[in-house]
Amino acid sequence: MEAKTGNKVWRAVSSLWREHSYIFVFIVILIVYAVTIQLNGKSFTSGHISSILSSQNTVIVGTMAIGMALVIITGQIDLSIGSALVLCSGVTIVVFNMTDNILLTVLAALGSGLLLGAVNGVLAAYAKIPPFIVTLGTMLIYRSLALWAVREIPAEISGSSSSQFAMKSGSASYEFLRMAFGTGSLRIAGFSIPYVSILFLLCVALFVVIAGNTKYGKAVYAVGSNDRAARLAGVNVDRIKASVFMVTGLLVGVASIIQACKVGNITPASSGRSYEMYAIAAVVLGGIAMAGGRGNMAGVLFGALSYSAIDFIIVSIPALSADIQDTFQGLVLILVILVQTAGPVVKERFTSRRRRSRPAAAAAAGTTG
Amino acid sequence: MSILEMTGVSKSFDGNRVLKGVDFSVEQGEIHALLGENGAGKSTLLNILAGVIPRDGGDVHFDGTHYPHATIAQMEKAGVAFVHQELNVVNDLTVSENIFFNHELTYPLGLLRRTEMVAETRKLFERLGVDMDPTRKVGELKTSQKQLLEICRALHAEAKLMILDEPTTALGNDEIEHLFSILRQLKSEGRSFIFVSHKMPEVFQIADTYTVLRNGELISSGAVADATPFSITCDMVGEQYADEDVYRARELGPVVLELDRLTSESFRDVSLTLRRGEVVALTGLAGSGASELMQALFGAIPLLDGEIRAHGKPASGSIRAAMRGGIGMLPTNRKENSVIPDVSVLENLYLAEHSLSARRQWIHNAREIAQYENLRDALNIRTQGPGVAINSLSGGNQQKVFLARWLNTDADILLLDNPTQGVDVGAKEEIYGLILELATAGKTVVINTLEIPEIQKVSDRCVVLYAGDVVAVLDHDQINERDVMLYSTNAMNAAKGD
Repeated sequence: MEAKTGNKVWRAVSSLWREHSYIFVFIVILIVYAVTIQLNGKSFTSGHISSILSSQNTVIVGTMAIGMALVIITGQIDLSIGSALVLCSGVTIVVFNMTDNILLTVLAALGSGLLLGAVNGVLAAYAKIPPFIVTLGTMLIYRSLALWAVREIPAEISGSSSSQFAMKSGSASYEFLRMAFGTGSLRIAGFSIPYVSILFLLCVALFVVIAGNTKYGKAVYAVGSNDRAARLAGVNVDRIKASVFMVTGLLVGVASIIQACKVGNITPASSGRSYEMYAIAAVVLGGIAMAGGRGNMAGVLFGALSYSAIDFIIVSIPALSADIQDTFQGLVLILVILVQTAGPVVKERFTSRRRRSRPAAAAAAGTTG
Repeated sequence: MSILEMTGVSKSFDGNRVLKGVDFSVEQGEIHALLGENGAGKSTLLNILAGVIPRDGGDVHFDGTHYPHATIAQMEKAGVAFVHQELNVVNDLTVSENIFFNHELTYPLGLLRRTEMVAETRKLFERLGVDMDPTRKVGELKTSQKQLLEICRALHAEAKLMILDEPTTALGNDEIEHLFSILRQLKSEGRSFIFVSHKMPEVFQIADTYTVLRNGELISSGAVADATPFSITCDMVGEQYADEDVYRARELGPVVLELDRLTSESFRDVSLTLRRGEVVALTGLAGSGASELMQALFGAIPLLDGEIRAHGKPASGSIRAAMRGGIGMLPTNRKENSVIPDVSVLENLYLAEHSLSARRQWIHNAREIAQYENLRDALNIRTQGPGVAINSLSGGNQQKVFLARWLNTDADILLLDNPTQGVDVGAKEEIYGLILELATAGKTVVINTLEIPEIQKVSDRCVVLYAGDVVAVLDHDQINERDVMLYSTNAMNAAKGD
C-alpha cells in the first residue's frame, strides 16, 4: 500500500518534471541562493524573494521575454527588443517631459512599442525576410535613432544632458508614476510586493490565458509546429507571424514605462544592452523550445526569476566581482539545457541496454528453472 | 550478353512481401522498360540493384560478377548509376563541379584543377551534343538541363547501366526528343538503360524490351515490338478484383460546385459541375495535374484563369474563400500537410474550426470535448483521449482526425487528396465506407487518387487527366482498371496513332 502511494507521488513528480521542469530549475537556484546567504552569516527572508521579484532582470527583461516567448513559439526570433526598449523609453520620457500627462505618457510608450514591433512583423512575415536579419537590422536602427535623438533634442525636453533621457521631477504626476511603476509596493500580511512585480505577474497571467484558452493562442502554437499544415487548415500564417512581433512591441512599451519610472532615466549608449539575449535565456530556462511549437507561457515567469536569481547569488558572494556574472549565467543556461537534452538520450541508452540484457537474463532464468 | 542478371529476388517489409522471387535481366546495349502500377515493387527492385536496401533472397550478377551483399559504393564502382526522379544536383556549384562532384581532380593539398575539369566537361558535352556552359551555376539551369546533367554525371563516372526513374516527367516534348536522341546514341555505344515510365507512348518510342511487375511478381517480359500498349496495360492491372460491395447508386441533389474553365500552370481549361451527394474521383499519373487541380479548388495554389463557384457564389482565390464556400481539403502527405506534431488530438481537430470562427476568441473546453466525442464516435476514431499527442495515433486514425477537422467546420464539399496513403488495408476499407456514408448524408466528395480499385469502389464519376488535360470523364459503370490506366498513360491515343 505504501509502495503504491509512493509510486503515485513519484509518477506525479516525474510528469511535473517532464512538463514543467523550469519549476525545478528555479527551486534549485533558489536553494543555492538561500545557502549562500546563510553561509554569509545572514538569514534568508521574504525580502530576498521580493527583491528577486522586483529586480530589473525580472520585471523589465521578464515582461519583454513574454513577447519573445510568443515569437519563439512561432519559430521566429526578435533581436531588437533591447534597442526598442531604449527608443521607447526615450519616447516615453520625452512625452512625459513635454506634457506632464500620465495617460499620454502611457499611450506614447505602448504606441511607440507597437509601431516598432509592427515594423519587425511586416518585414518578417509579409516581406519574407528572415526574422533574424530583420531584427538584427532594426536592433542597430532603433538604438542608433535613440542615440541620435538624445543628442539633438534640447535638454529641457530630454530632461538631462546630451547622453541621457531623464524624467523631470517635481510634478504630482511624476511622483505618481515613480510610485506606481517604480518604488511603490503593496503590503499584504507583512509581505510587501512591489507594484511592478504585480504588473509583471498580471502580464504573465494574461498571456498564459491567451496561449491556453484562445483560438489565437492555439494558432500561434500551430504555426510554430507546422506552418504548412496550419495554412492548409485556414490559419492566416503571415498575420499570426506578424502579430507576435506586434505583441512583443506592446510588451516592450510596458517595459519601457517600468524602465522610465523605476530607474527614472535611460542612457541610449549603455542601457538595455544584451537584453534580447537575456530575454532569450529566460525563455529557454522557461522550457520553451527554440525550434518552436512547444512550451508553456508560465515558464517565462520561472525562467525570468531563475535568471535574475543567479544575479543575486553572484552579488551575494563577496569574492566574486560583478564582471563575472555573465559567465555564471551562461554556464547555468548551458547546464540546464544540457540536462534537458542529454537527459532523455542517457535514459534511452540506459533502457535500451536493459531491454537488450533482459532476454539474456530470461534465458539464464530458464536454464536454472 | 546480359549485363545484369537478377534471379529470384525477394524482399519483405514488416512481414509484407513486396518482391516475391523476381527474375529481371538487362542485355548490354538495350533500353529496358520496367513497368508496373504504384506499389508493384519497381522501386524496391531498383533500390536493391543500386545497393540502397539489402535483399532477403535471390542473386544479383552484374557485368559477370556476383554481388552477395551489394552496397551503394560497390554498385557505383561496378558501373550502376541511379538517376533519381527527384534531382540530386547541387544548385550552388557549377556544372563542371557537379560532374566531378566527389571525384574532383586535385593538386597536392587538395587544390582543384579547375581548368582541366572544365575542359573535360566540355569534351563530354560535345560528344553527347549537349549544349550547356560548364562554368554556369546549376541553380540557373532549367529542370530539363539538370536532368541531362545528371545523366552526364553518370556517364562521366563510367556507368555501364543507368537507371532512369521517370526521367521525362519534368520535360517538354522537344526536350524529351533531345533526351531520347542522346539515349539512342549511348545505346549504340553499348551502354544499357533501365527506363521507368508511366507514359505508354514513350515506352513504345524508346524501349527495346520491357518487364511488367504486379504485386511483387514478374508478370511478363519480352520485346516491345511484340507487345501493344493495350497488352502491357492489361498485364499491369491484371484481373479485376474490385468488389462492388460498398458502392450504392444514390439520388444526387442540386449542383453545389462549378468549375469554369480552370487553368493553372499544371492544368488547362477544366470545367466540371458537381452535385450534392456526389463522389467524383480525379486521377492521373505524376505530372498529370490531378493533384494540382485539387489544391487549386481549395485555393492553395493560384489559378491563372477561370472561376470556382460553390453554392452559386465565387469561392476561388484563397484558402479562406474556399473555406467560406464550405470547401475543406484533406491534403496528401499527412505528415507534412496535416499533422501539427506538438499539439494534442483535440487541438489538431479544432484548428480549422478555430480559424473560421476567430471572431469569438474564447475557447469553451467542455463544449469542444463534447463535440470531439461526437466525431470520435461518428468516425470510429481510436485514441486514448482528446489530450494525447496526435503522433500517438496510427496513420488511419490520424487521417480520420483530419477528416473530422473538416466535418467540424460543417464543410459540405470535401476534397480528399490521396486519403488512403500510408494507411493499412483495414483502415482503407473503413475510409471507403466513410466516404460513401458522407455522400449519402449529402456531402459532395472529390477524391484524388492513383489507386483505381479505390475509384471503382466509391466514385460516381471519374475524371482522368493526362499532362494537364482532362482526357476522359467516366461514369461509375464505365470505370474499370484497364480503361482508366489506358487513359492515364495516354495509351488510348498511342494505340489510335498506330
